[in-house]
Amino acid sequence: MPREIALGDALVPGLLVLFVLSLLLLWLLDAIAGRFGLYRLVWHPPLFRLAVFVCVFGAFALFLI
Amino acid sequence: MSTVNPTNAAPPFRQVLAESLREEASVWLFVVKTLISFFAAGWLAMRFDLPAPSTAMLTTIIVANRQSGMVLAKSFYRTIGTLAGATAAIGIVASFPQQRDLFLVALSLWIGLCAGGATLYRNFKSYAFVLAGYTAAIVAVPVIDNPPGVFDSAVARISEVLLGLLVSGVVNDVVFPSRMRDVLRRAARDQFAHFVGFVRDSTEGAIPRDAMEKAHLRFVRAAVTLEDLRSSVIFEDAEARARSNHMRLFNQRFMAASTSFQSLHHLINRLKRAKRVRTADTLIRLYAPLGEALHAPIDAGLAARVLLPRIVTARDAMRRQAAELRTTLDDPQDLRDFDTGASLLGRFAEELHAYVDAAASLQSPRVIGGSAERVSFDRGNDFIGAGIATFRTTLTMLVLGAFWIESAWPMGASAMLLATIFAGLFATTPNPTRVTWLVMLGYLAGMVAGFVCLFFVLTQVDGYGLLIIGVAPFLAIGLVMMMTPSLASIGLGWAMGFAYILALKNVQTYDPAHFINDAIAQVIGLGAAAASFVVIPPAIGSAWLRRRQLARLRSQVALAAEAPLPGLRHRFESVNHDLVSQVVAQTQPGSADSRALIAWALAVHETGRALIELRHDMGRRDVPGTLRPYLDEALHTLARFYEKPDAPGYLLARDAVATAIASVGEHEGEGYLLEHLHLVRLALLDGESVLAAYMPTAPLTKDIAHAS
Repeated sequence: MPREIALGDALVPGLLVLFVLSLLLLWLLDAIAGRFGLYRLVWHPPLFRLAVFVCVFGAFALFLI
Repeated sequence: MSTVNPTNAAPPFRQVLAESLREEASVWLFVVKTLISFFAAGWLAMRFDLPAPSTAMLTTIIVANRQSGMVLAKSFYRTIGTLAGATAAIGIVASFPQQRDLFLVALSLWIGLCAGGATLYRNFKSYAFVLAGYTAAIVAVPVIDNPPGVFDSAVARISEVLLGLLVSGVVNDVVFPSRMRDVLRRAARDQFAHFVGFVRDSTEGAIPRDAMEKAHLRFVRAAVTLEDLRSSVIFEDAEARARSNHMRLFNQRFMAASTSFQSLHHLINRLKRAKRVRTADTLIRLYAPLGEALHAPIDAGLAARVLLPRIVTARDAMRRQAAELRTTLDDPQDLRDFDTGASLLGRFAEELHAYVDAAASLQSPRVIGGSAERVSFDRGNDFIGAGIATFRTTLTMLVLGAFWIESAWPMGASAMLLATIFAGLFATTPNPTRVTWLVMLGYLAGMVAGFVCLFFVLTQVDGYGLLIIGVAPFLAIGLVMMMTPSLASIGLGWAMGFAYILALKNVQTYDPAHFINDAIAQVIGLGAAAASFVVIPPAIGSAWLRRRQLARLRSQVALAAEAPLPGLRHRFESVNHDLVSQVVAQTQPGSADSRALIAWALAVHETGRALIELRHDMGRRDVPGTLRPYLDEALHTLARFYEKPDAPGYLLARDAVATAIASVGEHEGEGYLLEHLHLVRLALLDGESVLAAYMPTAPLTKDIAHAS
């Protein structure tokens, strides 16, 4: 993923695209966890969700070249 | 203190203290959370070098709420609104870059349409519309002299708002979240316990009509509250989202069961009133097993599941007893009424079983099965009310725009923006004139506080840390007021006025002349919004709209009689409940208006459901061609009567139903239709119902005997 992407001739930071992608992935993970009640195993679900997001976003950011 | 024996007076006092401390703590928790998100958003916006960090900060105030789920729900819709508004702004500027008149007309129309759309929705969807309207103004108006800048303006606005939303979303979700999920869970459990308890207690016999009306009102409120809660909770809790469809199904089944239950009790009441105690008592006896089945502790965890087999047993017992009890009656009219009641009871038992089943699957720890049956909660909307809102907002914008162009006022943009924001924000409140005045008061006070803060405090300090210390006390006053119910509007005005006029940015400018000019413009904008509410009063809460809503409620019977059948039951119930709750919210409890409404709602509910069941039965089996015209005629006249109630229409409907009953009697094997028709007829002839006003003054003696 390049550092800047031209979307319709507007330069968009690649990080922003990754951010949106990781939000989508988080939403998917969140839905799965909710469906199977996995949040019951966690002390503070929103904090856990935030932590998962940071992990996902951090991992995605490694794709940036 | 804890070791000594407490005196008798101590526990209440300590309790009171603890209660008030808990209340205070939740207020201050709200203040702290809002301050954290306010300053965090501001700091990030400054780090990112966004042109207007104050927008991000203001956003955190606008979405601030004690409940995390509300913050997330409002944020979600604010995102949608902002994106739509920014897109519209780019479109409008691109279309009329050099035509200020056309530009203003297009912008006013867009804002007006959005304000109109907002009145069609309750909860936060309406907020998305308002936002789409004023975001377009916020993006487009500042670049009116420099059209090519519109894209940058849109991007800046979107980034600021989204940053503010992100920060307040994370803060509210993570820092001591106050979960609405628990409120929803409690609401659902209360609804279940109340209803089951009410059914159980009423097996002893008749319920007086006013108790029935009160119960109806409570059930309607419970259904609508549950739906509103559900639509916000799905944003905070993934598990609630997974169960969202079950929740809807639960609510729909609740509405269906409560309607059948009421029909049943109206029937028993009517029989009693007509001194036909024997039939009434037989029905009550038939109904007894159901009451016994519900005699189980319902607050225990697995309650609903426990009730299921008991209801099945009771249903079977009722079926067995029905034939037995029927032999004790001999009069044909008694038999007819008994059959009607028994079939109604059968329907109620089925619906109760379905409702308890839904409750059981909600209570179970695992999400069962794939998705539940898809049902939706339809709303009853009024398009003329929306048209008025559109017209008013467009007119306000046009007048202000014309004034701006004619006077060449340098601060016109500011006034225009504020008028847009407030005309949109308060168009959906029941009493916008009062609310706008209160907010305006708060706004003025907030701007005065902003003046003091900016020119006497912030000039003395340096750095972001000191800025926080300097600004926080002023803002906290407004936030505390927001949490005090009587001062909520003033507090909102204070916080918004303060944050807006302060306009914190990276390089803060201290210009008293500009500050005062801006303040005057903003007050004029606010005043214009307030004046527009006086000049063109909003439809919401007016007697005119209430009459329209009542007419809409009555025409629900026509819907039941004529709309296509698939999904009609849910549609009928949910629109009914939505309409009733809208009108209830806008009338004084106990006033003549509210009583008339409830009386109509009961009649509409009962007749409408009976008609839907009748049509279902007609569709399921083949009705002979010689019979169908009579049934269609009955449906048609009933629909017309409810749409436009008057004495001749009443007579027509009554006779058509009587003819239909007679012709069903002439056909062999069509008896299953009789029960529904009887129910409709009994409702029509009920002398205590709202329809009594349309009855001929001297009813035929034969009818009295039948009626009741």
